[in-house]
Amino acid sequence: MMVKKKVKLRFVPEQANEPITYVLVKDYNLRFNILQAKIIDGGGKLLLEIEGEEKCVDAGLKYLRDCGVSVKEVCDFVSKDETKCTNCGLCVSICPAEAIDMDRDTWVVKFNTEKCIGCFMCVEACPLNAMILKI
Amino acid sequence: MKRTYEEINAKIKNGDAVVMTAEEAIALAESKGVEKAAAEVDVVTTGTFGAMCSSGAFVNFGHSEPPIRMSNVTLNGVPVCAGLAAVDAYIGATDERPDSEPKYGGAHVIESLVKGEAVHLKATASGTDCYPRQEIDTYISLKTLNQAYLYNPRNMYQNYAVATNSSERTLFTYMGKLLPEYGNMTYSSAGQLSPLLKDPTLRTIGIGTRIFLGGGVGYVAWEGTQYKTNVPVRNGVPSASARTLAVIGDLKGMSSEFLRGLSIHGYGVSLGVGIGVPIPILDEDLMKTAVTTDNDIYAPVLDYSTPSRDRRPIGEVSYAELKSGNVEILGKSIKTSSLSSYNKARVIADKLKNMITNGEFLLTQPVEKLPEERKQKPLNICSKDEVAQ
Ligand code: SF4
Ligand code: SF4
Repeated sequence: MMVKKKVKLRFVPEQANEPITYVLVKDYNLRFNILQAKIIDGGGKLLLEIEGEEKCVDAGLKYLRDCGVSVKEVCDFVSKDETKCTNCGLCVSICPAEAIDMDRDTWVVKFNTEKCIGCFMCVEACPLNAMILKI
Repeated sequence: MKRTYEEINAKIKNGDAVVMTAEEAIALAESKGVEKAAAEVDVVTTGTFGAMCSSGAFVNFGHSEPPIRMSNVTLNGVPVCAGLAAVDAYIGATDERPDSEPKYGGAHVIESLVKGEAVHLKATASGTDCYPRQEIDTYISLKTLNQAYLYNPRNMYQNYAVATNSSERTLFTYMGKLLPEYGNMTYSSAGQLSPLLKDPTLRTIGIGTRIFLGGGVGYVAWEGTQYKTNVPVRNGVPSASARTLAVIGDLKGMSSEFLRGLSIHGYGVSLGVGIGVPIPILDEDLMKTAVTTDNDIYAPVLDYSTPSRDRRPIGEVSYAELKSGNVEILGKSIKTSSLSSYNKARVIADKLKNMITNGEFLLTQPVEKLPEERKQKPLNICSKDEVAQ
C-alpha cells in the first residue's frame, strides 16, 4: 500500500556527510518533497513529505534512525484555532498550496491539512494568530 | 410611498415591523422590484467587521488612597494616553507593548476588558500636594472601572481601496501581506452589506444615530476623521474611500465576538470592530440604494509598492469580482483575500435585525446631519507664515 508521511528530521553536524536523501531514493525507492531545509545551531533541520510503499517508508525511516537522525512523524504542520478565527479570509490568497479555502455560501474559511505543505505563511499572515504551528 | 421614523418605531414597539438584512432585501427587490420591496420593508440592516485602526477606549480608573495624578500609564505593558485628568486615560488601539511578538497592543487590552479579564495597571507620577502618590501597581477590570467606553474617531469607511504589489519583494502593510509581482490582492469592505454604501449620501445616518457597536449598542458621535465627499461615484455609490464615522459606545455590553485585537505582521496592531447600522426605508429612493449589489459597487486597486500618498489606481474592480476569489487585471489573474469578515458582517446584520424585530432596538432620527461637502486636506511641510490664519 502506498503511503504519504510528513516527517521532521534533525541531525547533528557529524551526520551531515551521510547522503541520506540519495539513499532514501536509491535503496528504499521513496519519493519525497523537501518542504523545508534549515541549518540551525548545532545541526540541521529537514521537513520532508515521503511517499512510497508502506514497508519501504517504514524501512527508510528506520535507516534514518539507525544513522542517528532524530525522526519525528507529524500529522499537521499547522492547525486552525476556530475560536480565534474570524473567517476574514486573509490567509486564503497567501497559501501557496490552496490548503485554505473560502466557502462562498457560508463565508467560512476551511483549512485542509492534507494539502498543507508547512510553509507557515499563514501563521505570520493571520491577524488573529489563529493559525498555530504544530511542529 | 413614504414612512416616518415615528411610524417605523411604533411598528417596532408593536412587534410588527418588517426588518430584513441587506442581503435579504436584495433578493426581495430582485424578485418583486424595488417599489414593492420598499412598500413591504420598514428597515434594512447592514453590517461590517473589519480592522479599524482609528479606535480606542476612554477609561476612568477611580482614585487610589492616597490619590495619584497618573502620568506614565501602562495597561498589560501597553503605554496608554494619560494626558487627561488624574485618573482618566485613553487606550489607543494601535499603541504597542514594546518588543512584543506577535504584536500586542491597546486593541488587545480593550478585548481583554470586554472579556472581563484582569488587566495589569502600572502608573507613575511626579506627586503634587493634592495628588501625593508617585506610583501604583495593581489590577483593574471592566467591573472596577467607573467608565469605559469606546470612542473611535474613524470607523466604517464608506468603501476602501484594494491593495496589491507590483514590486519584487513582499510588503507588510495594514492591508496584510502583499506578495510580490501581483501575487495577491486584499480588500476591506463588506460591499453590499457595508453600512455606508447602503445610504451613500447619509440621509438617515448622522449625529446621534443608534447603531450596533462591538456587540452592544452605540451611537454615531461625529463625522469620522478624513471624512470626504469629493470622490468618484459609480452606480450611485462612491467608488473610492469617502465618508467615515466617529462612534461611541459603552464597553459594558460589548463582546469579544465583535471586538478583537489584531496583530498585523510587519505593521502593528489594530482593532477588529463589528458595526451594524439600520437603514429606515423612509421612501423608495432609500430602498433603491439599500439594495445596491456587489456587481454595482466598485473599488480602485492601488499598488502599495508606490510609497506615496498619491498612488494612482491601476484599475477598478467590483466587489462581485473581489469576492469571487480571483480578479482579472492588467491581463493577470490575481487571487483575492478580504481583511474584513463577510461572515461576521452577516452575523451582525442578522443580529441587528433580530434586535429590531424583538423590539429591543428603536431607530433614531439624526440630531444633526453630517457634512454634505467635505474635502480631505493633505499635510504639507510649511513655514509658520504659510499656515497662520
Ligand atoms: S487569516 Fe486568520 S482569522 Fe482570517 S480566515 Fe485566516 S485563520 Fe481565520
Ligand atoms: S502552512 Fe502554508 S501551506 Fe499550510 S495552510 Fe499555511 S500557508 Fe497553506
